[in-house]
Amino acid sequence: MVELRVNGVVQQVDVEEEMPLLWALRDALGITGTKYGCGIAQCGACTVHLDGRAVRACQVAVGDVGHREITTIEGLGTPESPHPVQAAWIELQVAQCGYCQSGQIMSAAALLERTPDPSDDQIDRVLSANLCRCGTYPRIKSAVKLAAQRLQGG
Amino acid sequence: MSIRIMSLSCLLMLGLASQSVSAEVEEGAHDLSVELKPGGSVSNADGLAAWDRIYAVVSHPRCVNCHTDEGGIPMWTDDELGGTRPHGMNISAGESRQGREFLECETCHQTSTRPNTMPHAPPHAGIPWQLAPVEFLWFGQDSKTICEQIRDPRRNGGRGGRGLVEHITHDASLKGFIAWAFDPGGGREPAPGTLQQHLDDTIEWVAAGMPCPQE
Ligand code: FES
Ligand code: FES
Repeated sequence: MVELRVNGVVQQVDVEEEMPLLWALRDALGITGTKYGCGIAQCGACTVHLDGRAVRACQVAVGDVGHREITTIEGLGTPESPHPVQAAWIELQVAQCGYCQSGQIMSAAALLERTPDPSDDQIDRVLSANLCRCGTYPRIKSAVKLAAQRLQGG
Repeated sequence: MSIRIMSLSCLLMLGLASQSVSAEVEEGAHDLSVELKPGGSVSNADGLAAWDRIYAVVSHPRCVNCHTDEGGIPMWTDDELGGTRPHGMNISAGESRQGREFLECETCHQTSTRPNTMPHAPPHAGIPWQLAPVEFLWFGQDSKTICEQIRDPRRNGGRGGRGLVEHITHDASLKGFIAWAFDPGGGREPAPGTLQQHLDDTIEWVAAGMPCPQE
């Protein structure tokens, strides 16, 4: 039994310590906003936060999470009170099929937490590891800039 | 890998150039056997031969690919990728050498002592993934250049001969990057030899006065 703190709630999960966090979230806890794309850190679809830092959940063994707080797309904001990154995404209608988007949003939110006013180069480099088969990259970039502006009170 | 707890504070004798010094060296948990040699007990020729074996390790892709220049771009080596090329995904580790300015290395490369088992997945080690400091430039460098850097305390993190040996044992106790290079998992080619041989070669080279090839 492993204890995980997910979106502010302590959960007991009956899985092997080696299980990737992504599997525990989706299959054991039924938290399915975090997506599986590749399982080898090549796509970014599974991005969640551990203590506010973006990680690929397919690469984190459940037994290595420890006391760190896990935040998934479900815990970032709510429909009534979306995170500024989620609000910018809705405003600019970024998503196409949507499959990659929870990973994109989690990466963008972690970026802005650390770098409130990112350069174009920083946005490109951080989000280059989040793939989007629908090619929504230009809208993603605009939404990151809009969210950055909002977060800085602009 | 089985871990043997070595004695916490063993008195070790390690030679530096022509003088030998005694020092208390604190050992953590690793499975290496450390047999230090007095300075001057190894000939220059044997020291140079030990260096050649060290160079075969430190010039291997498992090592040089994260000892890159101030551009901060790690390298990938994989026969399926056609040899060596810059890390995919537009990665730069930045001045921090840990990707703090961009995408942190730890986003994908977790800090974990678990074995690396998944082919094509980002490897992990027991310490936070990062590039070596920029003055430890090894990628594309010849034997003489790397040798002179490693023995220069101004460019090796302030280490004398003893410090270089401790660097290996300390890394092993953390399952760090040196240990990882010999057991990279995921189908990757390991650095040549074993970690124990690399440690023994370093002890030999240090006891010979850290000789470097002339060209
Ligand atoms: S599923 Fe984790 S990065 Fe693709
Ligand atoms: S919106 Fe379809 S993969 Fe990104």
